Amino acid sequence: MDFGDKKAEKIVLVVNEKGLHLKPAQNIVNVASKFQSHILLGRDGQMVDAKSTLGLLALGAPKGTRLRIEAFGEDAAEAINALAGLFERAFGETGEES
Amino acid sequence: MKSKPPVMTRVTDLLKSEELQIEVLAGTSGLNRQITHSRIQKAGLAAAGFVSSVEKDRVQVLGATELEYMKSLDPESRQGVCRAICSTKAACLIACRGIDPPDELKVEADKSKFPLLKSRLQTGSLIEMTNSLLMSRLAGSKILHGVLIDVFGVGILLMGRSGIGKSETALDLILRGHRLVADDVVEVVRTGASAVVGMGAELLRHHMEIRGLGIINIKDLFGVSSVRDRKRLELVVDMVVWDEKQEYDRLGLEEHTYSILGVPVPYLVLPVAPGRNISVILEVAARDRLLKIKGVNAAKELQKKIHEAIAAGSMAHIPAESEE
Repeated sequence: MDFGDKKAEKIVLVVNEKGLHLKPAQNIVNVASKFQSHILLGRDGQMVDAKSTLGLLALGAPKGTRLRIEAFGEDAAEAINALAGLFERAFGETGEES
Repeated sequence: MKSKPPVMTRVTDLLKSEELQIEVLAGTSGLNRQITHSRIQKAGLAAAGFVSSVEKDRVQVLGATELEYMKSLDPESRQGVCRAICSTKAACLIACRGIDPPDELKVEADKSKFPLLKSRLQTGSLIEMTNSLLMSRLAGSKILHGVLIDVFGVGILLMGRSGIGKSETALDLILRGHRLVADDVVEVVRTGASAVVGMGAELLRHHMEIRGLGIINIKDLFGVSSVRDRKRLELVVDMVVWDEKQEYDRLGLEEHTYSILGVPVPYLVLPVAPGRNISVILEVAARDRLLKIKGVNAAKELQKKIHEAIAAGSMAHIPAESEE
């Protein structure tokens, strides 16, 4: 698969209390799917497709996990920024939410 | 697709395997020695005193004959040989068939922190099993994006970019009685010289994501016969968007392969377009794969027939359009 030679990457931190559970995963997929780029998210040896809910859930990432986002394609940089923003805003979840 | 294969494993990892039936005799403090080669060395020459044949970080095996030979030596030369063996940089030494090696070997092993082990297995089976265990350990594992499904007993890995319809195709195949192994996240491990086995992530086992439906549990919906936990990868199918300008294989004369953890797996590129029933094509691909495993290649057979026919000049007998 060829996605062009543009590449961007960034390290993000899972800051919300419940970690990367179903809703954040869906959130990520929804945002990632808006971009043409091929986007991977995960840790060394376990990079999963950011456009796949199941893949993201398989990471089983609790609060405090550092994850790497890599994007390949024309809109790689924009994709990385949008996704990193989600992590920074804790997917809109507050600590007390149950 | 990133993978981080461990370049080495340790002697302690051999102990964890129940099938190898290994027990430690001496040199316990050396058990974290590393193993970097999957091939096993028979320590025959070493037992005869030629220890420069012993390679670093490799597992050494002593068979019944070698052990017999060592016992036949006079005590002094036996001790010399044992000391020489234990001073090598080999990973460990395993005595086979449950035979106890000479006491001198145990003493020297403890002195040199050289792991001395014993297995109840016969030399041949021990070498074979240790070899395949090490091979899978040293090759590591890898996460692939795709769907792994068992179609007529053929493990097919469906790949292609997100949204191309991998999961939908798999669902169609499940409805036709085939079995899902993993959706989206396929963990592959090498299990021998030419075999890679795929399985799903523990947490997600037998779940699928279907756009518009969400996450579904295949085992609950379709029963235990619709899933399986692991399957050897026998065919990789890359689903691509049909591109008018692209040329696709129309004959199937050439066999392409896709390398997974160093193992070449037969590989097909399957263009997806409206009106192409992918699950039916995959069923046929699986049947064709089974035939090829038996040595039958439809394209090659046809090619042979045509060559023969042309050579015999017998194409002429093919009836022309009816002349009335």
